[in-house]
Amino acid sequence: MSELVLLAQSGFPAPMGGLTLAHYLFVSAAMFVLGVIGFLTRRNLIIMFLCTEMMFQAAGLALIAFSRFWLNQTGQTFVIFVITIAAAEAALALALVVLLFRKRESLSADEWSEMSG
Amino acid sequence: MGEIIHPFLLYAGIAVGGIGVAASLPRRRVSPQLLGGLLGAIGLGMVLLGFTLRAADRTPDQMPSIYFYVFALIALGAGLRVITNRRPVYAALYFILTILASAGMYILLSATFMAFALIIVYAGAILITYLFVIMLATQAPSEEETDSLTPYDAEAREPFFAAATGFALLAVLSTMVVSGVRGLPRDGIATPPANELASLPRRVERALRAAGTIEPEEQLVIGSSGLALVDAQARTARVGIPADGSFTSIRDVGLPEDLAVRNVESLAFDFLNRHPGTIEIAGVILLMAMLGAVVLSRRQVELDEELKRQQARPLGSEEMA
Repeated sequence: MSELVLLAQSGFPAPMGGLTLAHYLFVSAAMFVLGVIGFLTRRNLIIMFLCTEMMFQAAGLALIAFSRFWLNQTGQTFVIFVITIAAAEAALALALVVLLFRKRESLSADEWSEMSG
Repeated sequence: MGEIIHPFLLYAGIAVGGIGVAASLPRRRVSPQLLGGLLGAIGLGMVLLGFTLRAADRTPDQMPSIYFYVFALIALGAGLRVITNRRPVYAALYFILTILASAGMYILLSATFMAFALIIVYAGAILITYLFVIMLATQAPSEEETDSLTPYDAEAREPFFAAATGFALLAVLSTMVVSGVRGLPRDGIATPPANELASLPRRVERALRAAGTIEPEEQLVIGSSGLALVDAQARTARVGIPADGSFTSIRDVGLPEDLAVRNVESLAFDFLNRHPGTIEIAGVILLMAMLGAVVLSRRQVELDEELKRQQARPLGSEEMA
């Protein structure tokens, strides 16, 4: 039996109300997958970028859960980075969206294929 | 895998959830969003309850935490609405709900600082930027049809294939969670907790005084490294009476039970003591993003003088008359 089995099935070090790491990891994975599906299916650029934010959020939840599991604050420190990157990505992506909307009067992702230079 | 969840329960839950999400994605004809949401909730609930039942077998004395299920349901339900709602404004508002529920889960994981940072930065700043852009970059509805949807909002692209791909990914991810990856190192991941109380002599001293453990003239002994001589493992501290540069009548006292390092303090130690460069790097990233956004969105609106005069005329026409 490998290490991760023990890791996911064992409870948190301090009392956590019967929850295991697997609970949080599953919610995080489900949130990530919802973001992936939204990114693949929606055609509105703003919603596509919202879905990337949701994927960031899922990664942050997994990091916080691991940080709690190992009683180690480095995971939380990394979440600060995740939020920073998300903010930077939002600023740049929304600037691009505004630029595209001024050019094309549309938010459809298909418009990107014609926008070069 | 059977020790964490029954495989049938896991894959059946994921499949039901996948069908639910695929059904509720926007489509030309009517898309059964309520049914899809219900199916998704049933699938998710099956898997989470499966985890809980197996966990309850091992630790039967612990009551299940109802808050986790409430937060998980709100987070994923709002996440489903983000990707299925036809109107971008509502999608952004539902995403705020997802953020708030995630912040609740952060608090359950005793990451209080990150929970509030998440609410302030995400729900307060990033999502408001999104809302501004949505309002800037949306065509004003014409007079005859005020409730029109743009074609790219009304219809999802390949909902079934995307949902199948996404939930295959979810099945693989959760299989790895519950059955493990071979070849991972056993040890060396967890680091011993830093002795943070040694760097907080004022707090230790105040707690000791409040507990009545030390005399009024006694103080914590500061070692040669500049840290207080606090042993976090044995929960003792060394105190003495200061007398011209050294300490007399030195003794060890036990720390009070309720003296613990708070989340913000330990996060600050990790952030500024063990990873001192992070805040500068984060600042540089944000500066670069700000410069990039300014450069990208700075574009002069070309209006020649004749056009300006034409557009100004309707405004000034009343004064002329």
